[in-house]
Amino acid sequence: MNRKNFLSSIVVTTTAVPFIGTGKQHLFKDNPIIPSYLKPGDIIGITCPAGYTTKEEILPSILQMESWGFNIKIGNTIGKRVFTFGGTDAERTNDLQQMLDDQSIKAIMCARGGYGSVRIIDNLDFTNFVSHPKWLIGFSDITVLHCHLNRNYGIASIHSKMCNSFSDNWNKAEPLQAETILSIRQALTGEKMSYIIPAVIFNRQGNADGELIGGNLKTIETLAGTRSDIQTAGKIFFVEDTGEYLYSIDRMFLNLKRTGKLSDLKALVIGGFKIKPDDPGDEFGRTLYEIVLEKVKEYSYPVCFDFPVGHQRNNYAFKCGVRHRLEMNDTSATLKEI
Amino acid sequence: MTKTPPYLNKGDTIGIICPSGFMPMDTAHTCVRTLQAWGYQVKTGSTMESHSGNYFSGTDKERLDDLQRMMDDDNINAILCARGGYGFGRIIDQVDFSSFKKKPKWIIGFSDITVLHSHLYANYKIASMHAPMAAAFNADEHHNIYIESLQKAIAGGKARYECSPHAFNRQGKAVGELVGGNLTLIAHLTGTPSDIKTKGKILFLEDVGEYLYNIDRMLYQLKRAGMLDKLAALIVGGFTDSKDTERPFGKTVYEIIHDIVKDYDYPVCFNFPVSHEKENYAMKIGMEYKLKVETEKVILKEQPDNKKAKGYRR
Repeated sequence: MNRKNFLSSIVVTTTAVPFIGTGKQHLFKDNPIIPSYLKPGDIIGITCPAGYTTKEEILPSILQMESWGFNIKIGNTIGKRVFTFGGTDAERTNDLQQMLDDQSIKAIMCARGGYGSVRIIDNLDFTNFVSHPKWLIGFSDITVLHCHLNRNYGIASIHSKMCNSFSDNWNKAEPLQAETILSIRQALTGEKMSYIIPAVIFNRQGNADGELIGGNLKTIETLAGTRSDIQTAGKIFFVEDTGEYLYSIDRMFLNLKRTGKLSDLKALVIGGFKIKPDDPGDEFGRTLYEIVLEKVKEYSYPVCFDFPVGHQRNNYAFKCGVRHRLEMNDTSATLKEI
Repeated sequence: MTKTPPYLNKGDTIGIICPSGFMPMDTAHTCVRTLQAWGYQVKTGSTMESHSGNYFSGTDKERLDDLQRMMDDDNINAILCARGGYGFGRIIDQVDFSSFKKKPKWIIGFSDITVLHSHLYANYKIASMHAPMAAAFNADEHHNIYIESLQKAIAGGKARYECSPHAFNRQGKAVGELVGGNLTLIAHLTGTPSDIKTKGKILFLEDVGEYLYNIDRMLYQLKRAGMLDKLAALIVGGFTDSKDTERPFGKTVYEIIHDIVKDYDYPVCFNFPVSHEKENYAMKIGMEYKLKVETEKVILKEQPDNKKAKGYRR
């Protein structure tokens, strides 16, 4: 065993200990906990755990979700603003905590991402939530919540667009926008998710079954070494990001690799990456495809590029923590909930 | 006990390499001449004469080979990294330390070189030097106290650095091994085989050009990874050219750090001269220092060599 393998095996052993030791956390490898799906009349809470928003900005999302037959409860962080945040850390913690604990609320949609979830995650008490799980919805900075729930409680959550992405005028919404917003409803009401996209020439073909896990790459990197750090072995892992330089994306994929997150995947799914152009004279000289394929060349699992998840219009709802099957061929890639 | 590489004697050879980003050879001329004026011979590695057309000073293999040769060549007594940038993380797991760990030598640099400093300390407990690199010698007055601190450090001099107090400083005294470097890299290495243990250590951090929210996020990572819990002390260096988002973050970098260490009671000093600017003292990572944060001044003083460490001196 060389040094690298030796070290990574230590990491695995030590991180596994708390799961056995505390009794609070359990081994849920094959049994993710799926919160109850929503029925008409159920209440969806809206809160701002990270960046701020206003009532006007989330109004289209409220109207839309009401038209789906749900009732909406607006958290008291909506309309609050402390610089970039939707309220102080305490206000954001309390708002989310109330929604986690209020059993009449069946799902919690984060109004938007931005930055700030990591500032409150350790102040939240998940005791009631663990006994009565509900869907948490969002992406980008909300990756903190997805990862934390997955790592600590094995509870599924929904990675999707948030209140700030609903159309002001639903009748005039472009088909893609309508479809991606409707995918949130499908996910919430228990429809089996299915996505089919054209094959990309750089794809590494294959089929895989596994729990879907992932989110925003930068956020996942900054959770490494913390108690929200995800374990990806045996899973279908997806990542997306926006506004990063290629060199930074390269460094983040090295972080995934060196923290052992790329070694035992069932499959790797690469979502949208809005890349910040290199400064003149500092060209990185590798494409995103090359960066990714280089990191996974010693592994044999399938790799699927250009998946419709990320900071872009075609960002479909994904059920994190739920088992999916990825099937790839020359012409298409299909990801299906199983 | 940290292994201390042998300090340099006049006539010794310093190898210069570019293990990460590209740098034109011209930029290193003053550095080379200065090292020669200090009485050392200089050997430039192949990555210093690179004609690379992209970001890096060479392919991963070229950069790795240049570093490996310098590490394993008994005629090279110390290695100075000419610049940081990005790229050390791409080769660190391919470096063979088997010969180097038996015969360690000082490796000098900062910024991206934090990867190597952390890796050496975490895996081999070998001291290395966080200090100015080639471009810093080009400043108008390269005989400044920061370049001089490097001259003194490589010759085995014991550092005693003083700086002015800052309103956010938390007073106190601490003794511990010095660890740290660039915050982005320290955060990035968390959870990897190059991750440093900070318990009982004096941790120093600096960064350049980062968004305020991102600095906050990285500090939360360190905090949540337990890396700020049990420090002997925290030294906050320069956080220059920090950027803000369209929706302002609402705190300065020092306010962010001040807030995050409120839960602890160890000494903390701000605006210490370790940074991407001219103010950048040579700091020996892994060596023991005493930090005194007082009302009128801050003093960082290197502790005397212990007996075991002397075994590595020539």
